[in-house]
Amino acid sequence: MRLRTRNMILLSVASAVVFTTAGCGGGLLSSEDSGASGASGPVKLGMVVPISGSSAPTGAYMKNGAQLAVDEINKAGGVLKGRKLELIVEDEACDAQQAVASANKVVTAGVVVSVGGYCSGATLPTLPIFQKANLPMIIPAANSQELVTQGLANVFMINGTGKQQSTTALAFMKKAGYTTVALVDDNTSYSKDITTETASQIQKDGSVKVLLKTSVTPGESDYSAVVRNIMAKKPALVYWTGYYQEGGLIINQLKKAGFSGKTMVADGSVDPSLTKIAGAGAEGVFATMTQTPDTLKGAEKWIANYKAKFKADPGPFSTQSYDAVRLAAKAIEDAGTTEGGDITKALEAIDGFPMFSGPLKFTPEHTLSSGGFVILVTKHGKFTLDNTLS
Amino acid sequence: MTQLIWDGLFVGSFYALIALGYSMVYGIIKLLNFAHGDIYMLGAFIGFALLTSMGGIPASLSLGALLVVLLVSMLLTGTAGVIIERLAYRPLRGAPRLAVLITAVGVSFSLEYGIAAIAGPNPRAYPIRLEGGVFEVLGARVSLPQIILMLIAAGLMIALNGYIQRTSTGRAMRSISLDANASLLMGINVNAVITRTFFIGSALAGAAGVMAGAYYGKIDFLMGFIIGLKAFTAAVIGGIGNIKGAMLGGLVLGFVEAFGTEWFGGQWRDVFAFAVLIIFLTLRPTGILGERVTERM
Repeated sequence: MRLRTRNMILLSVASAVVFTTAGCGGGLLSSEDSGASGASGPVKLGMVVPISGSSAPTGAYMKNGAQLAVDEINKAGGVLKGRKLELIVEDEACDAQQAVASANKVVTAGVVVSVGGYCSGATLPTLPIFQKANLPMIIPAANSQELVTQGLANVFMINGTGKQQSTTALAFMKKAGYTTVALVDDNTSYSKDITTETASQIQKDGSVKVLLKTSVTPGESDYSAVVRNIMAKKPALVYWTGYYQEGGLIINQLKKAGFSGKTMVADGSVDPSLTKIAGAGAEGVFATMTQTPDTLKGAEKWIANYKAKFKADPGPFSTQSYDAVRLAAKAIEDAGTTEGGDITKALEAIDGFPMFSGPLKFTPEHTLSSGGFVILVTKHGKFTLDNTLS
Repeated sequence: MTQLIWDGLFVGSFYALIALGYSMVYGIIKLLNFAHGDIYMLGAFIGFALLTSMGGIPASLSLGALLVVLLVSMLLTGTAGVIIERLAYRPLRGAPRLAVLITAVGVSFSLEYGIAAIAGPNPRAYPIRLEGGVFEVLGARVSLPQIILMLIAAGLMIALNGYIQRTSTGRAMRSISLDANASLLMGINVNAVITRTFFIGSALAGAAGVMAGAYYGKIDFLMGFIIGLKAFTAAVIGGIGNIKGAMLGGLVLGFVEAFGTEWFGGQWRDVFAFAVLIIFLTLRPTGILGERVTERM
């Protein structure tokens, strides 16, 4: 009962807010045929990405990528007959609590589509918030399978999933002839997702053997325990699926321990800092990754635009974030409204929308039909394209 | 097996260096200084700033440069410890213990996010890296940097022990830890001794910070959190308030972790370390070498 009263109050406050914003913008009449954010004024897109914390560099790449798309679309006339797009960025900090607070913040700010989400563990608890607000989410980077297993209608992922990444990892192991592997994760949702999926695919396939599957605690400096375990099993390849800080340390400590096999990292570790931290061990580290601007063919013009605007190089997930905004704009345009349900339907109907990862059509579970993962390798401290496995 | 013992010893000496500061401060003013792990972080960042400002250092000089930076960082973190004590703990000397404990947590967060605001939240790669020859000793891989760092740690601990056992300040420290009021009546300048205690404890943590930065190669503003808790565990294992106990506790915790992860798998390392803390707190709150009955919070 108490809950219901509170909801009533919230509802009346919310409608009052709608009433006043509509009143300010375009008069009472126009508010009847539009969604919650009013019929004129900017169309707001919410982006919850890491601005602080260990993943902050990637957050900046994503924010810039999205901003580039917003500016381009606004320059070309905006959406819905001349309304401008506005990007509202809040901090995810790769932390569940912070992400929830920030998601609430962007919902309150009146966004119509969410185009953020980097750390899966932090993005996961924001799903119900956007769902209750009936806002579609286009998730550019976070890619744990768990994000879509709940089957929420409003959740779309435009990065390859953990499952697709695992498939690529296995394909590479087979192609390059690594028959024994160690799988190491950092116990977070995203990371564990990939090791578990890779292990089960390897088991089904049968041609590669998992010698070791283990987890480490993120945030420490000394990983001698896992290094010892790996040295005892002597796998041909170590696949690390956590983030780059611990990845760099583990690669460095493996090198110090005299490990003679190869290491491969998942997309969370693809960051220029990985090679700096890894020091002497940094050459020849493989990575399963979606194409970055550096490795994409035909992205030179896009990179030049990005550089001119932000005086910095684009990085991992800049392209996905750019595409997320373009996709959101396209769906809003197709739907002809800013109402969440209509935009979701428009997203589901999209077929062949050109993106960096290829023409887009969502699968029934709202993921990409092909993950677009390739194999990168570090050369002179930089990630370069090694193998497209095609 | 020998590899396990060596790894345990190496990590344990880091724990021991930090645990000393915990134990000394607790021994004298009964304060669990939860900001102590962040002093370690501060030391790593001061070392980073110094090394960066020195510019390119040729590899042949890197050890010498590191030693100089280590000393300067120890002086600076020691001073930081003194300032923290003066500003945050001394005004609360007569306050309930819980108030001081909460203040310590507050100081910890201030240090962490203060550094994050100044140096940025991103992890930094250390400008010099201790790389060196590796040789096999009884089947264990031992590297030269490891030996150098352990010698530094052992040297610092021996110096500290001598200081506490042989000098008048050391005697004053021991007497304050037995009975602060009686020491005051005997004419000991209690505040000055407490200041020195904070200086020494913080300097040791700062040294550990620089060493960790140079060996592991990565520092970030939250690096002091887990290791602070581990050092606290080490101090409890050895007997909190007991200097030799802190050294012993650090090494024991290093071994416990090394063997625990070997038998149960890497993901159990912290479960194992903190389970040991709980076991000691329930079964033997005075730790291995503790003599006095410690009051629990």
